[in-house]
Amino acid sequence: MTSISNNQAPRSRRRIDGWRWTGRIFLVLMLMYTALPMIWMLLTSIKSGFAAMQFPPQWWPSEPTLASYQKLLDPQNSVGQDFLRFFWNSLFVSVCTTVLAVFVAVPAAYAFSRFTFPGRQFLFFAVLLRNMFPAVIFLVPLFILMRVLGLVNTHGSLILTYLTFGLPLAIWLLKGFYDNIPIQLEQAARIDGATRFQAFLLIVMPLSVPGIIATAIYSFIGAWNEYIYAATFITKNEQLTLPVGIQRFFSENTTDFPGLMAASFMMSVPVVVLFLLLQRYFVRALTEGAVKH
Amino acid sequence: MAQVVLKDLIKTYGSVYAVNNVSLTVNDGEFVALVGPSGCGKTTTLNLVAGLIPITGGDIVIGDRVVNDLDPKDRDIAMVFQNYALYPQKSVYNNLAFPLQMRRLPKDEIDRKVRDAAKVLDMTHLLERKPRELSGGQQQRVALGRALVRDPAVFLMDEPLSNLDAKLRVQMRSEIKRFHQDLKATIIYVTHDQLEAVTMADKMAVMNGGFLQQYDTPAQVFAHPLNMFVASFIGSPAMSLVPLEASTANGMSVLTSAEGWALPLSPLNARKVAAAKSKKIVLGARHSTIKLHKSAQPGAIPAKVYTVEPTGDVTFVQAFLSGSLVNISVPPAVHVAPDEQVWLEFDQDRIHLFDGETEMALHAD
Repeated sequence: MTSISNNQAPRSRRRIDGWRWTGRIFLVLMLMYTALPMIWMLLTSIKSGFAAMQFPPQWWPSEPTLASYQKLLDPQNSVGQDFLRFFWNSLFVSVCTTVLAVFVAVPAAYAFSRFTFPGRQFLFFAVLLRNMFPAVIFLVPLFILMRVLGLVNTHGSLILTYLTFGLPLAIWLLKGFYDNIPIQLEQAARIDGATRFQAFLLIVMPLSVPGIIATAIYSFIGAWNEYIYAATFITKNEQLTLPVGIQRFFSENTTDFPGLMAASFMMSVPVVVLFLLLQRYFVRALTEGAVKH
Repeated sequence: MAQVVLKDLIKTYGSVYAVNNVSLTVNDGEFVALVGPSGCGKTTTLNLVAGLIPITGGDIVIGDRVVNDLDPKDRDIAMVFQNYALYPQKSVYNNLAFPLQMRRLPKDEIDRKVRDAAKVLDMTHLLERKPRELSGGQQQRVALGRALVRDPAVFLMDEPLSNLDAKLRVQMRSEIKRFHQDLKATIIYVTHDQLEAVTMADKMAVMNGGFLQQYDTPAQVFAHPLNMFVASFIGSPAMSLVPLEASTANGMSVLTSAEGWALPLSPLNARKVAAAKSKKIVLGARHSTIKLHKSAQPGAIPAKVYTVEPTGDVTFVQAFLSGSLVNISVPPAVHVAPDEQVWLEFDQDRIHLFDGETEMALHAD
């Protein structure tokens, strides 16, 4: 009896362990896949220009230096001036896109979720039509449109373009959030003395904060990282955004890899900070306890 | 408090009448239950009174104001929802305070009223909690508290107890009844549970298919259902309805069955049958008014037992009579078995007769 149970127990445990180890190895591989380029970027950014090009590579910089960062952040020299200007341009375009996207998507999604009006279904799917095509298809038509509107070489052209990409998904995303907020909450608020708008503002809006934040992050990252439209619509140096700007001034004669990596690293900082600041809102289920099913 | 009058109230969705010409008066301080099966229009009626959906036709009067086009906030009503609809981001205190804050009451008055309401509902210790930290019964209390904190003209309640477990439901039922008696509140209460309606309400409005079927005290509705729908909806187990044919035998008015037997009628019942427009008569009888015999008796009709359900207090027997199932309650000492032949005796004073075509109760002229 005992020998049988002794024989069986380790076998089944080994099988479970096998799965668990496969899972762990997979996670480690995924982590390396995402983290190693970032680590290499950081390491390269603190090397000297010569050390960055050595072969075999220096796994750890022999003389770590922050010279590249100093150069980029110094408003006195031309590289620093450009970098800071591009950074500011990117921030301006991304923040404008985000604010406008949220500003338009919130009422639009609420309307799609709560009201019935003629053409509601059609409009809702029409909103998605743009996303059925690759973004590049609209490059030339949108460029012509921007030229007619006189918006070429302005940040307005980029903000408008990013909105056409970001809004449809933002509306879909937010509509899902509003669908999940019980309509009785608004009805209760209206009976308790709120106008329809107050019910939306005081009761529904706070509950849709996770949705609004997800939408905002999505719009922000989309605008922050966009390259092809920025490269097409903007030719003036002082209007460039970071993705285009970085590529422009580091690859003309000899590529300054530590500088490029330092710029790339600093470009990823706002996105990471945004996530760290806002992630706690994703975790909480805000409507818990509102209604009993 | 105020009275509520519905005059020829209509709500249509496309060509569908959700509420069809409903007229009723809820007197000041009265507890009225709207009952009916799912989709009968009772919740729609309540939402129309609340102003949450626009009316198609008719009038709603609360107090002495016609409120047809008023916003919910201007109707001086409070509502308790089936799923409670508590504001999840607000504490219990702020849930209760919200209606008062919206009316811009001074802070100290809000505080006093919230604490009073909390004391009445025995939840002073819960004021700082969020709704998700409360049990179902406590959430229900908060919902009730939010309604009573502001002294509205009318309370509207949309199945407030249906999400509670059975034991809590019975407890809250008596609490709401007590609350009505103490506050002399005008309450319109929607429920699909006729037991709730019968036990709590001063009057009940039975609805079906958007129409108001009957509006009277529970006792009257139970004793004198106006039509076959009300008869079969109110009472548990339901009133048994057996379609029969009116005819005469030996100069006496009888109801005959396709099974070959005839049920002689009392003179009063014979006059009722004579008032019917057709020969099709439906016999209705509640389970407690039917006597079950295990052997043939004069005046008793043969039937076959279908199921036997002992509940301890009484045993419910279902038997096939002329193709219809009939509910009979018998003392637990009576033992019958499925498929057994039994004889049923109807109490002439307590049977109900309905016109088979119009489905309306028959009256002697």
